[in-house]
Amino acid sequence: MSELALLEIDGATATLTLNRPEARNALSIDLIGAIDARVAELERTDGVTVAVMTGAGRAFCAGMDLKAVLGDPEAPPRLLGSLARLALRIRALPQVVVAKVNGAAIGGGCGLTCVCDVSITHADSKMGFPEVDLGVCPAVVAPWLVRKIGAGRARHVLLTGGIVSGRHAHELGIVDRVVASRDELDTAGDELARRLAGGGARALAATKGLLNELDGSLDASVGERGATLSAEVLATPEARAMLTERFGC
Amino acid sequence: MIRVEHEDHIACVTLARPDQRNALTPGMLGALADAVRNAPSSGARALLLAGEGRVFCAGFDLTLCRESPNGSVMRDLLSGLSGAIRAMRGLDIPVVIACHGAAIAGGCALLGGADVVVADRGCKLGYPVVRLGVSPAVSAPFLRTAVGDGACRARLLETDLIDGERAHEIGLVHELVKTREDVLPRAMEVARALGTKPPWAIAATKRWCNELTPAGGAQRALEVSLSLTGGDEERALLEKVWGGNA
Repeated sequence: MSELALLEIDGATATLTLNRPEARNALSIDLIGAIDARVAELERTDGVTVAVMTGAGRAFCAGMDLKAVLGDPEAPPRLLGSLARLALRIRALPQVVVAKVNGAAIGGGCGLTCVCDVSITHADSKMGFPEVDLGVCPAVVAPWLVRKIGAGRARHVLLTGGIVSGRHAHELGIVDRVVASRDELDTAGDELARRLAGGGARALAATKGLLNELDGSLDASVGERGATLSAEVLATPEARAMLTERFGC
Repeated sequence: MIRVEHEDHIACVTLARPDQRNALTPGMLGALADAVRNAPSSGARALLLAGEGRVFCAGFDLTLCRESPNGSVMRDLLSGLSGAIRAMRGLDIPVVIACHGAAIAGGCALLGGADVVVADRGCKLGYPVVRLGVSPAVSAPFLRTAVGDGACRARLLETDLIDGERAHEIGLVHELVKTREDVLPRAMEVARALGTKPPWAIAATKRWCNELTPAGGAQRALEVSLSLTGGDEERALLEKVWGGNA
């Protein structure tokens, strides 16, 4: 079986690739575990200043793999809790983390892009938080969106649900940079990573650390509470009925 | 002066005092808070707040304060405003505000209770009340969660108004439409769309948003605004306004 998450290091830049393209890189327990292991490697790696996170295949990340966990009531809290812990671990990395959003970044996948320090996508990618449309609550990703775009805009985006283009996501502040087409993304992403890696590694890490302190990023209790809330909503008969109908299982 | 109608599971609450640009009275603010609190029990899945006539809301009806030199009407207005905003925020269904033409002072403060604000590009918004000796502190806890601390500080301390485009840039307005006539139809569309979403997911998400960024200090903020009522500065500055109108 191929590795679910890949890590390549090229000088001062590392690339972490979500590698479950047949499932549009949907976040299963195994994929989250594989990403977590790669993040742990980054924690131990000296000389890397910038880490680029991206997805293999057409999608960046289709979100939580809810279909796979619907049958087991124990599984959703585990999955949501592991995503909350992974998000915190990514945020705490000393490297500047760039989300290179190659395609759809939906729900938990869009949340991951907000955990990263800087994000770039192309005009036609699909991004957003359609959780409320599915009868679930985006409680794990909400704190990260609030930190990214502010509380008022986050409230609007999360309650409105739906999916928007990369261009619109950029207008909403969900993503920092947008290029005109998919063809331009790799070059622009490389250029962005190179420019970021030109900064002093210690200066970047110190600045990122202070920003994490200021916005409460490293408060694990928020993520835990979000995971609990999200799992509670997911466990309601209404939500389960809606998801079962949606996924046809 | 507060009209409540139900349409397609939307509670449509209208400030209906168009001849006075929907200037707020203590009675209107109390009725607004009641209408907001009662909306879910009538089966509404979203609440739309709008204003009748040329503008959404011109703020407090200051002429009422003229008859109460001890500041009691101003106190009722400020407490009523805080209560109405808190009622909107505490609601389990989403609140959409159709903000057309102008939202001034207390009218602008009402936006702090909204989950989604739709406004026209030329709409005038702001809190020009310090020149009346009134402190807009009551709005601060809600405004800062909407637009962040920097923009909040500027808006509350400066007395000039901003237009809809600028309000959209700072995050006070979420959706812009071209003209004031476009505001209500678009806001209704937004409310209808929100009203079709699973109510349990909307309620959980709204509560979590409130918990993540609590509008902390709402009571304290109200007290700061109340502390100036009936004072010499406020009376002197308000009298200038009345003198100008006379």
